[in-house]
Amino acid sequence: MTDHVSFPDAVQWAVPFFIAAILAEFLWITIKGRGGRYETRDAVTSLIMGAGNIASGFVLGFIAYAFFMWLWQITPLNLGTSIPIIILCFVLDDLRYYWVHRFGHRIRWVWASHVNHHSSQHYNLTTALRQTWTYTFTFMMVVRAPLILLGFHPALVLFCGGLNLIYQFWIHTEAIGKMPRWFESVMNTPSHHRAHHGRNARYLDCNYAGVFIIWDKMFGTFVPEQEDDRVDYGLVHNIGTFNPLRVAFHEWVGMWRDATQPGLTLSQRLAYCFAPPGYSHDGSRDSSEQIKKKHLDRHPSDRGTPGFEQFDKNPPNTRAKRA
Amino acid sequence: MPLEILLILVIGGIAGITLLLHLTGRSSQRVLTQGTARMDWRRHFPDDVVIDVTVSHDGHAALVRTETGTGLLWSLGADTVGRHLLDFDWIEHPNGFEFQFRDFSSPGVVVHLDELERRHWQHLMEPS
Ligand SMILES: [Zn+2]
Ligand SMILES: [Zn+2]
Repeated sequence: MTDHVSFPDAVQWAVPFFIAAILAEFLWITIKGRGGRYETRDAVTSLIMGAGNIASGFVLGFIAYAFFMWLWQITPLNLGTSIPIIILCFVLDDLRYYWVHRFGHRIRWVWASHVNHHSSQHYNLTTALRQTWTYTFTFMMVVRAPLILLGFHPALVLFCGGLNLIYQFWIHTEAIGKMPRWFESVMNTPSHHRAHHGRNARYLDCNYAGVFIIWDKMFGTFVPEQEDDRVDYGLVHNIGTFNPLRVAFHEWVGMWRDATQPGLTLSQRLAYCFAPPGYSHDGSRDSSEQIKKKHLDRHPSDRGTPGFEQFDKNPPNTRAKRA
Repeated sequence: MPLEILLILVIGGIAGITLLLHLTGRSSQRVLTQGTARMDWRRHFPDDVVIDVTVSHDGHAALVRTETGTGLLWSLGADTVGRHLLDFDWIEHPNGFEFQFRDFSSPGVVVHLDELERRHWQHLMEPS
């Protein structure tokens, strides 16, 4: 290759900073007596998931990298690595992150990888490191293809992706309430991302942003954290294990069991793999829409409030009367 | 970054943080009362109407009877996990009962019960 481009692996270099920040947050919580909670086994599991994520990058990263280099061979475009191009790449890669993350919550195949990031009932800086080991198997690297075909060098794209992940580290905290108003309106913040980690009906499928919250506002998935609806962290069906292997693979195993059970049609099997999480062929499980609907049946006054906008302020029967 | 340095940082960091959390008392299991067990069940399963709650003497587990069936709530670190007793086995254990679920994300739990509780729980779990 004549155009050798190399960028540092930002995530690895950030490891000392991660450790220092976790210690600082823990100290802050201990001294102040508020701003989050830590539990030994939960934190250790999260840290091991983070280490495993780096290791899986060593083992499987070459697959995505080979794919990106192949795209780079076939594209006639080369935007170079000037500062404005790096900034543009960072912004566009953040848009890429938004969609990968949104797919991660709406397609079970991708959710099987992403679910473990949400599997803790805690929310502190170690939760940020609870990362997937199985991202390669989601094939979500294809979402980066347009960037490389447009002429952004793979090394630059991966560098921007690393910076994106590092940015998201500090927002996994309860120690920070709200940032200044201008910042909250443009950037992803602890407050916005706390809502993303909520299992409350209101917060399901919201705030997919990586760095810029504007994507959620553009694509209609933004839900601000509500003071009167405290975020309950974790999964709709919380897992009962700290075993990293179970954390990493439980949804893949569940998907396999669902899709291979006897007596299903092919389309039902496919739906178990690719429909939104919560799909079931016999209606025995709830999707996030059904969970929201059931919540509104119990709490009708939440109708039309943030996170429930897709449901009419007026229940269907009053609407029928008006028509 | 050289691999050796990265390994030392990762292993040292995890070990150090683990030790720090354990020595500052962050390893204790959640202790349930009737009230908190009921609240936690409602948090996990907002659709359920709870009839009654039986907390084990060590406070680490509770049998929750609801209008749609019985469930088990147990402490997982500082939090709890709940499962409806549908696809499960329970076997005698020297300290109580061992519940096993056919669920890779939640394989099972040993619930500590004394002799009196053991009979009571058995009675509660029997289909009426
Ligand atoms: Zn997510
Ligand atoms: Zn997160």
